[in-house]
Amino acid sequence: MSDFAGMEELLQDFLVEAGDLLSGVDNKLVDLERAPDDRSLLNDIFRGFHTIKGGAGFLNATELVTLCHLTENLFDKLRNGELEITPEAMDVILAATAGVRDMFGFLEQGVQPQPADPALIGNLRQALAGELGAGGAAAPSPVPAPAPVVATPAGSEPDWNLLFNAVTGLPVAVEAAAAAAPARSSEEVIEHAIGRRATDKPGSTAPVGRRDTEKARDNTIRVDTARLDQVLNLSGEIGLTKNRLNALRSDILNGLNDTETLHALDVAVSQLDLLVSDLQNAVMKTRMQPIGRLFQKYPRIARDLARNLGKDVELVLAGEETEIDKTMIEDLSDPIIHLIRNAVDHGVESAAERRASGKPEKSIVRLEARQEGDHILIMVADDGHGMNAEKLRAKAVEKGLITDEEANTMDERQSYNLVFLPGFSTAAQVSDVSGRGVGMDVVRTNIQKLNGSIEIRSQLGKGTTFIISLPLTLAILPVLLVRLGEQPFAVPLSMVREILPIEAQHIQEVGGRATMVVRGEVLPILTLATMLGWPQERPPEYGVLMHTAELSFILAIDSFAGREDAVIKSLDDFRPKGVAGVTTLSNGQIVLILDMKELLGNAGEFRGVSRSVLLQGGAALPATV
Amino acid sequence: MADPKTKFLVVDDFSTMRRIVRNLLKELGYTNVDEAEDGAVALQKLNSAQFDFVVTDWNMPNMDGLTLLQTIRQTPHLKHLPVLMITAEAKKENIIAAAQAGASGYIVKPFTSATMAEKLEKIFEKMGKGAVA
Repeated sequence: MSDFAGMEELLQDFLVEAGDLLSGVDNKLVDLERAPDDRSLLNDIFRGFHTIKGGAGFLNATELVTLCHLTENLFDKLRNGELEITPEAMDVILAATAGVRDMFGFLEQGVQPQPADPALIGNLRQALAGELGAGGAAAPSPVPAPAPVVATPAGSEPDWNLLFNAVTGLPVAVEAAAAAAPARSSEEVIEHAIGRRATDKPGSTAPVGRRDTEKARDNTIRVDTARLDQVLNLSGEIGLTKNRLNALRSDILNGLNDTETLHALDVAVSQLDLLVSDLQNAVMKTRMQPIGRLFQKYPRIARDLARNLGKDVELVLAGEETEIDKTMIEDLSDPIIHLIRNAVDHGVESAAERRASGKPEKSIVRLEARQEGDHILIMVADDGHGMNAEKLRAKAVEKGLITDEEANTMDERQSYNLVFLPGFSTAAQVSDVSGRGVGMDVVRTNIQKLNGSIEIRSQLGKGTTFIISLPLTLAILPVLLVRLGEQPFAVPLSMVREILPIEAQHIQEVGGRATMVVRGEVLPILTLATMLGWPQERPPEYGVLMHTAELSFILAIDSFAGREDAVIKSLDDFRPKGVAGVTTLSNGQIVLILDMKELLGNAGEFRGVSRSVLLQGGAALPATV
Repeated sequence: MADPKTKFLVVDDFSTMRRIVRNLLKELGYTNVDEAEDGAVALQKLNSAQFDFVVTDWNMPNMDGLTLLQTIRQTPHLKHLPVLMITAEAKKENIIAAAQAGASGYIVKPFTSATMAEKLEKIFEKMGKGAVA
């Protein structure tokens, strides 16, 4: 049951906006540690708490108001130079911020937050009194304590001038009336002037919402109205074009087929074409959010972690304005946290090691996003000691994740990718931060769920970079259409590197499997027919060079039919293995979109076929023998 | 009795708060409401269109509510505008500063539509009197 019946919408708005504010405050706190005297930073942080307090008051969240109020008062004194920031004060402030975030957690569940830790409140009060660590000082009472009861006789609105005189006693506009306002009653006058009454129950008249969400968040999205206007405008245009087409249809049905009519039809259809793709784009854009909203919570995490580990690490953000599909932002949150933890914990050396190797003591971890073509790249780069391929392989062998033989054939890139294997952890000692070996494999799985890939680049002594590559949107997938006999299949274009003819004289047999050498690299040939369990009726004519995180191979097919931007329709109840979904081609034909990773798993350890089987065609499946 | 034509400008940097104030005003029958996210934007709007009433937050970036109030009072064609300050500050100094700058009223967050109605009524009443006197 929610404590916020009737206020759900207000609560949601508040959580989204106040959440952003708090993340901003968190980042500014990290900045503040470097520039403790920056007045404008102090001001901004003050305002952040102040604004959150104001909103919380309307939600009746008394405990949140109390906590924000104390923190705000502390910043008021800091910005006025009455107090100075000490490391102890900074710790209290950071703890208070964490407390506020915890309370947001309660609010998200639709529950009034519990009172903050009394120790925290005590510390805040001591900090306020300028005697942190000393005994309990007289602290200001937390603000919206139950409002004092003030009688409100009709027509007793104070005269503002009178009030002014009453509370200041300044001889401004002295009139006889001034004398009538004894100082003792000035509090009462103020109490009255600000109009708080005992009967005020802020929640009772809040906007009414009908949604009975238990978890009050994230089903909504904030969209720039300009973008919505564009959608509206385009759908209007499409409506007009539809009318035009309707008119043309009746003309044509009535036997009109002169050049003029046909030309008009042509124009209308191409216009519709353009408008629809514009509309698709515009709709997609409404789901796009700047990734900065996700990034801004990381500097604080990195800072806390580095401090725990006794390292000096600065997280540098870049490309925060890069836009990405909202659902992806949510799913990326945990993988990025993991990569940052990993960079701070394992990637970056201790200060002593850095000094020894002549590096600046402070290490930089860079979190960057940018758009490249139809992909978004997110990079987490550290300037630490880099990865040692040799050690990684040894570790994997030791853990029994790979065999000696496999280890010997691995190049650097493949060795780095070992960290993604379940059960692999490079830290000799498991820390409480990262290093349980559950994580990197989950990171990769999560990224792959988003149709993305993750890649590692590393240079010994220089640092390691994790590169996540994601499609711009999940709704549209560029595919390559390949054919097996007459049947077309779609494979994700993101995996395709090139298309080559398969010629008998270029096929060699290595270990009983057909392979082809492409620019010095020996690649296995896998036939699509075998993968699907179809008979291979004739020798394949083309090969598609495909590339996944684990391996590169050549997919043998009969022919191909070009590329298309597929709108994926998932098969909800019925999902054959190896099929990611279906799409409809321009000619109305339905095509299966293949899930290559699943097919590869099916193909049993990249099982290839022998050269003779490949070239003979007609040879049946392994079952024959 | 609320004149729905009265045009309000609600100034606050926190959009949730603007929405709260807008909803409260709507409850009271005032539907002609525009918003501004800080004092500077508010001044622009006040200078480019006709408003009858300003409801402003105190603490905002760029230009705060007090400066906005002072500017309004110093601008000949705006100085007659009623300005209601809404803030979370219940401190004496703040109330004095607001009074000194010529605020028509002062409400401390959180408040209800009843409080708001009462405040508005008082202000309108006084304005009426002022016009006669």
